Amino acid sequence: MLIPILHRKRKAAEAAARAIKEVGGTVEDTRRVYGTRLLIRGMLWGSVYLLSRGLLELAVESPPAVRVAIALLPTPFFVYYLWTWMKGVSEMDELQRRIELEALGFAFPASLVFLATLGLLDVAITLNPDDFSLRHTWLMMPMLYYVGLWRAQRRYQ
Amino acid sequence: MKNRLKVLRAERDWSQQDLADQLGVSRQTINAIETEKYDPSLPLALKIGRLFDQCVEKIFTLDSA
Repeated sequence: MLIPILHRKRKAAEAAARAIKEVGGTVEDTRRVYGTRLLIRGMLWGSVYLLSRGLLELAVESPPAVRVAIALLPTPFFVYYLWTWMKGVSEMDELQRRIELEALGFAFPASLVFLATLGLLDVAITLNPDDFSLRHTWLMMPMLYYVGLWRAQRRYQ
Repeated sequence: MKNRLKVLRAERDWSQQDLADQLGVSRQTINAIETEKYDPSLPLALKIGRLFDQCVEKIFTLDSA
């Protein structure tokens, strides 16, 4: 008596899952697509950033306007990357949004502490600008975001 | 907050993925709710109640209750 009912319910669940997949994919599908897009657009921005860095080192003698133009070259690609990220977050489910929030909630104050400490250290011992300039220290921000993401993911696993 | 989600799901022989697909959330969300690491939002709790045809209070209870 009970087995046919459970079997029917199982079939209904499978049909519902199939229907969701046919309409627009599961949340996991959305996450995969978002992750791939984010990776590709991030790599695109990273490549243009590195190209811009290389060009700036080659064009030392160029007029300032040219150098500024080269420096701003990666910005549209970064905006595109950022837009992908924001769109992806808006398509996430509530737990994933919370994980993103917790990751940023860790990364933002940690970056603040890192930069403030670096600022004080610079006053104390004058840090070498070849090692601690803005073009080096910004890398700490995404690294701290990924640490925050890892912590938050672990909490909800 | 405690919940009976795992029991209700097992009664219907649904996997976490089946339930996640029906609710439009990730399997990770279902797992986090079942293991009581995450309390769902009110809209999601109501959707769960509607899916299992039960009041939200019968599925979710406060620890002190």
